[in-house]
Amino acid sequence: MEKILLIEDEELIIRLLSKKLAAIGYDVSLAMDGREGLEKIKQIVPDLVLLDIVMPRMGGFEVMAEMKKDEKIAGIPVIIISNSGQPLELERAKDLGAVDWLVKTEFDPKEVAEKIQKYIRPTD
Amino acid sequence: MDKPIYSNSAPPPPAKLSPGDQSLRERELAELSEMKARLEEANGVLEVRINAKTRALRELAANLEKEMKERTEELRRKVAESENSRVALMNMLEDMEDLRRRAEEEREKTMAIIANFSDGLMFFDARDRLALVNPRIENYFSINKTESKNMIGGRISDIVRFAPMSPLGEVFAGSLERVSRRELSLNEKTVFEVSVLEVAGRAGKIGTLLIIHDISREKMVEKMKTEFVSIAAHQLRTPISAIKWTLRMILDGDLGPINDEQREFLDKTYKSNERMINLINDLLNVTRIEEGRQVYNSVVADIEEVVRGLIANYEDMARQKNLNLSFEKIAPVIPTVKIDLEKIKLVASNLIENSLKYTPAGGKISVTLGEEDGNAMVEVIDTGIGIPAEQQDRIFTKYFRSANAIKAETEGTGLGLFIAKNIVEAHGGKIRFVSEPGRATKFSFVLPPAEFN
Repeated sequence: MEKILLIEDEELIIRLLSKKLAAIGYDVSLAMDGREGLEKIKQIVPDLVLLDIVMPRMGGFEVMAEMKKDEKIAGIPVIIISNSGQPLELERAKDLGAVDWLVKTEFDPKEVAEKIQKYIRPTD
Repeated sequence: MDKPIYSNSAPPPPAKLSPGDQSLRERELAELSEMKARLEEANGVLEVRINAKTRALRELAANLEKEMKERTEELRRKVAESENSRVALMNMLEDMEDLRRRAEEEREKTMAIIANFSDGLMFFDARDRLALVNPRIENYFSINKTESKNMIGGRISDIVRFAPMSPLGEVFAGSLERVSRRELSLNEKTVFEVSVLEVAGRAGKIGTLLIIHDISREKMVEKMKTEFVSIAAHQLRTPISAIKWTLRMILDGDLGPINDEQREFLDKTYKSNERMINLINDLLNVTRIEEGRQVYNSVVADIEEVVRGLIANYEDMARQKNLNLSFEKIAPVIPTVKIDLEKIKLVASNLIENSLKYTPAGGKISVTLGEEDGNAMVEVIDTGIGIPAEQQDRIFTKYFRSANAIKAETEGTGLGLFIAKNIVEAHGGKIRFVSEPGRATKFSFVLPPAEFN
């Protein structure tokens, strides 16, 4: 089963998205902030990371910068899910290796799942 | 007066003769008598002449006297006249002194006003040389009286070389060109607004006045307001996206079955939430425009594809409102444009949505794509309520909504056209409209071809 790690500090979003992704057929792990997320990335080595930007302890940009330093996890595709989508932030995320950027008000869980499928397909 | 003054008619005394000379004496006597007669005759002639002369002289004297009198009279008159003139002249001099004093007072008043004026003032004479600096300028640029005096007589190009005044160099490349309310940041806290206007008198240009107005406070308030809106909008996004996601999943059946009534309510709630998201996005766009940090990611694009895609999005909505929404390409070749796709879509969406909102059922909305002076041109024409003539000049103003628009549709932020105008102009394009209230409205925007952008 394809492994997705969801790093997000908002409980409602976590519950909704993990439910949706699990229903589709992904193996979803959760982390509530960037530091916990980074540890879990190293530990689980997921197939894809869904990453929020503004979080306590460690933000999304820092997580990506740390991932780049470790070649075992450097190549894992990262999709940003954020509340804002400033062009400058998008640029920075792209430079750090993010494959996509989704603004939460513009996408719903179903559309997020569709985006994910562009990168990893769930195991039937 | 005719009586002779002088007479020779008195006979001379008889001569005494001796007896022996009787005959001689008689002859002599006769001769004498003859001579006497001649003399008397001559005397008479003389007398006549003298009297004539005298008369003439008397006449002359009389004439002279008369003339003297006349001349004297004339002289007296002239003296009187000149006295009058003298008095008049004195009065005039007095008046002039009065005027001079008043002018001096006025000058002092004017100087006091200039000195105490709340704005910084620099006056350049007709030859563009600094003639006057008020204390506020010294204040603003932290220079002392001597330094300020030393600038007098200099041109603006000389003045900006003086270090404390150098920020002005940002506004004036070299000459004292006319500027209106140009912003000038001295440092993070101090922002000035610089204006230059020509001062003309009755005889033409007297000089040029440079006015410096401190807008630091307004700028700070404006910045705080923008920051507040930006923070509020960002903060609102978090709960709103959670609401959106929850409603969506319930509606999609991901959280279990719902009945028709629940679906109807949740669907309406979802739509309200979408409106809230649009409002927040508008507010964020406005704050980005105002802070000048709207970033454009321009790519070469086919505008036809963009517009056709949008029309497809609005077809359902048009059908629901019983409106005829059509698209037509009215020029054979449309110039290729270099645009920020998302932002130009927002412009076209705003115009189409306005037409959908403000056109009564049964009406028509036609979107056309054409070309004008080498630019790509998009037009949105509707048979809607229009814009009242007296409010047309305010239509692109932030938060402005026309009276009939508010009546027709209570919801609306008054931000759509403000955003549209800013986006189009940031692309080097233009947006305009014509509207016949109660009948029709046409909004057009042009975008320059790719090579010029």
